[in-house]
Amino acid sequence: MKPKVAFFDFAGCEGDQLQVANLEEELLTLLGQVEVVSFREVMKEHSDDYDIAFIEGSCTRLQDEDRLKQIRKNAKIVVAIGSCATIGGINALKNYKNLDEVRKTVYGENAKLFDTYAARPIDAVIPVDAYVYGCPIDRTEFLQVVKSLLLGKKPDIPNYPVCVECKKNENICAFERGQFCVGPVTRAGCNSCCVNEGTVCWGCRGLVDNPNENSHKEVLIKYGLTVDDAIGKFKLYFGWQEAKR
Amino acid sequence: MKILSKEDFSDFVNALIKDDSLDVIGVKSKGNKFAFGPLEEASELRLDYDVTLLPPKKYFFPQRETLFTYNIADGSSAKNAEAKPSVIIGVHPYDIVALFHMDEIFKETKSDPHYFEKRNSTIIIGVNIQKMSKWNFSPYMGCATVDYGYDLMLTDLGNRYAISVGSQKGGELLSKYAKNITGALARDIQLVGQKKREIVNMSQQKFDFPIEMIPELLKETYEESGFWEEHAEKCLACGSCVLVCPTCYCFDVKDNPDLALENVERVRTWDGCLLEDFAKIASGENFRPTRPTRYRHRYFKKGKYLFDRFGFISCVGCGRCSSNCLPNIANPVDLFNDMYHETRSMGVQLAPAQTPEVNIQSEGNIDYVPKLATIVKKVVMTANETLFEIKMDDGSELGHKPGQFAEISVFGIGEAPISISSPPTKKGTFEICVRKVGNVTNKLHTLNVGDRVGVRGPFGNGFDVDSLKGKDLLFVAGGLGIAPLRSLFNYVLDNRKDYGHVVLLYGCKEPRELLFSEEMQAVSRRPDVEFKSTVNWCPDNEAWGGNIGVITTLIPQVSFDPNKIHAIVCGPPVMYKYVIADLKARKVPDDHIIVSLERRMKCGVGKCGHCQINQIYVCKDGPVFNYAKIKGIPEAL
Ligand SMILES: Cc1cc2nc3c(=O)[nH]c(=O)nc-3n(C[C@H](O)[C@H](O)[C@H](O)COP(=O)(O)OP(=O)(O)OC[C@H]3O[C@@H](n4cnc5c(N)ncnc54)[C@H](O)[C@@H]3O)c2cc1C
Ligand code: SF4
Ligand code: SF4
Ligand code: SF4
Ligand code: SF4
Ligand code: SF4
Ligand code: FES
Repeated sequence: MKPKVAFFDFAGCEGDQLQVANLEEELLTLLGQVEVVSFREVMKEHSDDYDIAFIEGSCTRLQDEDRLKQIRKNAKIVVAIGSCATIGGINALKNYKNLDEVRKTVYGENAKLFDTYAARPIDAVIPVDAYVYGCPIDRTEFLQVVKSLLLGKKPDIPNYPVCVECKKNENICAFERGQFCVGPVTRAGCNSCCVNEGTVCWGCRGLVDNPNENSHKEVLIKYGLTVDDAIGKFKLYFGWQEAKR
Repeated sequence: MKILSKEDFSDFVNALIKDDSLDVIGVKSKGNKFAFGPLEEASELRLDYDVTLLPPKKYFFPQRETLFTYNIADGSSAKNAEAKPSVIIGVHPYDIVALFHMDEIFKETKSDPHYFEKRNSTIIIGVNIQKMSKWNFSPYMGCATVDYGYDLMLTDLGNRYAISVGSQKGGELLSKYAKNITGALARDIQLVGQKKREIVNMSQQKFDFPIEMIPELLKETYEESGFWEEHAEKCLACGSCVLVCPTCYCFDVKDNPDLALENVERVRTWDGCLLEDFAKIASGENFRPTRPTRYRHRYFKKGKYLFDRFGFISCVGCGRCSSNCLPNIANPVDLFNDMYHETRSMGVQLAPAQTPEVNIQSEGNIDYVPKLATIVKKVVMTANETLFEIKMDDGSELGHKPGQFAEISVFGIGEAPISISSPPTKKGTFEICVRKVGNVTNKLHTLNVGDRVGVRGPFGNGFDVDSLKGKDLLFVAGGLGIAPLRSLFNYVLDNRKDYGHVVLLYGCKEPRELLFSEEMQAVSRRPDVEFKSTVNWCPDNEAWGGNIGVITTLIPQVSFDPNKIHAIVCGPPVMYKYVIADLKARKVPDDHIIVSLERRMKCGVGKCGHCQINQIYVCKDGPVFNYAKIKGIPEAL
């Protein structure tokens, strides 16, 4: 029997589901292996009978938690896809804003602030079995993960920084081009795609397990960023992870 | 020496490019840097480069390489297409020496066919350095110029190249594709000599001491944890320093199935000891868990371990590591100078540099393709451990010694090293006892009688059964450590008269984790074996009449003559220290203690670098070690 898969979206842009929908040919071969029962991006039908749930977007409201818990109950395997779902993503930027506001109103009477629910990745709410990182996700890696799950294997997601792939791809380092990159603390797996295109890594796949953040901030500053800008570089995607560390 | 005008040299290169039977590769510009790449036109060549981003080793040991492809359903495999002959133009001398180092490494014990196939079908056209990168210190390493290792070597003499012919292949290439070759005049030869002397003075780096002292310096600094912590504090564990290095050879092996889940590529990719998980095993143990230990390993690898094994310092001074390290802590010149000054300030007297005795043997080729075998019996032993009996499909014997291991492939998933648990006296099949902890082992547990697996091996040294003959034997097995010990233990039982008093001590966490319980019961009834077992604890709902406590609590319960007994120890990493201390307290001499060790493994044949403990490879030099030989090896126990 083919495993049934379903896609769900929370607070995010649905860019990741779009990546999946855009897989075209590969998707057809893939569809030979699975049965899609729910996928808003390409179909109207919906079913609650599924084995693998792919969840996109972060959890930004208390109300979302129930829906997530229901998905966890229905699915054998839960896969978080995209930055928002795996690491909180850009959504977690708002967490900093709130913190600043909190600071401004330390003695204010505004109790409403405490209702604000910090944007968080899916695994802050329910256990997650596999992750497809990235903003948006990398199609090749998405296929890798699906293949692994179908073969009964834990997907191989690197725990080394983007620099590893970047060196193998023989790129000229962003720092040597006068640009600033957070590749040395960001989890690889995207084949350093942004640097391959001549830009820099913004960190969309989140931090590696044990990043040397202080050293890398020092590097950013040594190469000419202000302290604030260096911290800003880390805020873009690492908000939730940094707050947790 | 030959002379070719620059126009004629261009024509020569273009003639090579035109020949479709050749891949022609050369140094080209990439942004404001340089890289080796396929040439379409001689004019793309930039022989005035300083250094390339990656060394030319990528053509012999690529970043990603398919070892072979196999079918998930039946395990049948297909070899790769043969490598196309190629010519690489513009290799600097230090990179030529680096290839020579790689040759030695990929040749040792058994040759790596994937590397040598490409190496043997490639012609190297070197070029003497015209500009030297500011990080380069190859003159100190004796690698700024070279007299071997190339087929042709170019020296720029303004309007012409002087060409030294280093091999017959090189000479033939030249006469086949180049026109208007003339012999070098005395003046040209003199000019080349002068250029080479200039190159030796081009380095902007400076060693404060003779580099021959490096191995001894390292030896004195190993234990200086403060030194390593200070130097590695900023390490990003990004691996850049090893990934760009022309003499680094470590790799990872992974299985990559196609979308239809029918065929799988077994792929090897570059790996590096600076990366956090390089020495981590499935149980979570990481044998080099911190940045300083990994950082230190790299310098020791280059300056001591490979030196002891091969007789050369495995660094050619290209400076790539230095220029690629963002926090600027990977420059060997800086580190070794610091080390030199620190040891001097501590008043350490260094022994004079010594050249090690090198004894490198090589016989035959590595076969990365597993042989097919079938599971003929499956016995579930505990919730997590299962015994598999396996028969080679071609009817052959595995031909192992007790204590050896095999690489077991589970199709679609990958390969894992597993000890052979049956004695060689058992013919026709062999047994493995497997704990499920990760991808390969979990999937193996779902396989059944009649299912196929792949087998490579046997690997490792195994126990020396002959030298143990006539001795008293004390087996100390913790948990899954019984798996490799059982092959020797049962061998001894099958040849009982050849051995003296035999004791087996076996312990595990709790009663339900006991392995081979029926066999153990049978052993406990034997009059010619002393058997004792223990559990760390016994939950209320389990039955256990025996000893409770860690394995060392059994040692005082047996009596033996420390001079006659040989202890054979295998268990989880934490166990060794305690058991060995207790044995030593009982006056067992060091060389009477034999251990079998576990490390992360990928290749099983001494190539991938994963199983390395200081200078030794567990897969090749072990997994069985005499304690007297490894007690001085700091990372071993
Ligand atoms: C010489 C030797 C003998 C062994 N004998 C046995 C045995 O008899 N029975 C048994 O159950 N286990 C044994 N092991 C351990 C076994 O190899 C690992 O449990 C196994 O590799 C885990 O692979 P996995 O794919 O299931 O786990 P994953 O975590 O998915 O591992 C991924 C990869 O990491 C490497 N790796 C992870 N853990 C280890 C490890 N402990 N040792 C070596 N490589 C590792 C392997 O290359 C593996 O393919 C032995 C290990 C060694 C080195
Ligand atoms: S560009 Fe970024 S990812 Fe690439 S090597 Fe430089 S720092 Fe690392
Ligand atoms: S290079 Fe960085 S930003 Fe780009 S996809 Fe990879 S992790 Fe994301
Ligand atoms: S390049 Fe530098 S920071 Fe990166 S692993 Fe090597 S020593 Fe550490
Ligand atoms: S250690 Fe550094 S300088 Fe030495 S060969 Fe490797 S990359 Fe070059
Ligand atoms: S172990 Fe040696 S060869 Fe392997 S990556 Fe480290 S320094 Fe390089
Ligand atoms: S060197 Fe590869 S396993 Fe030992």
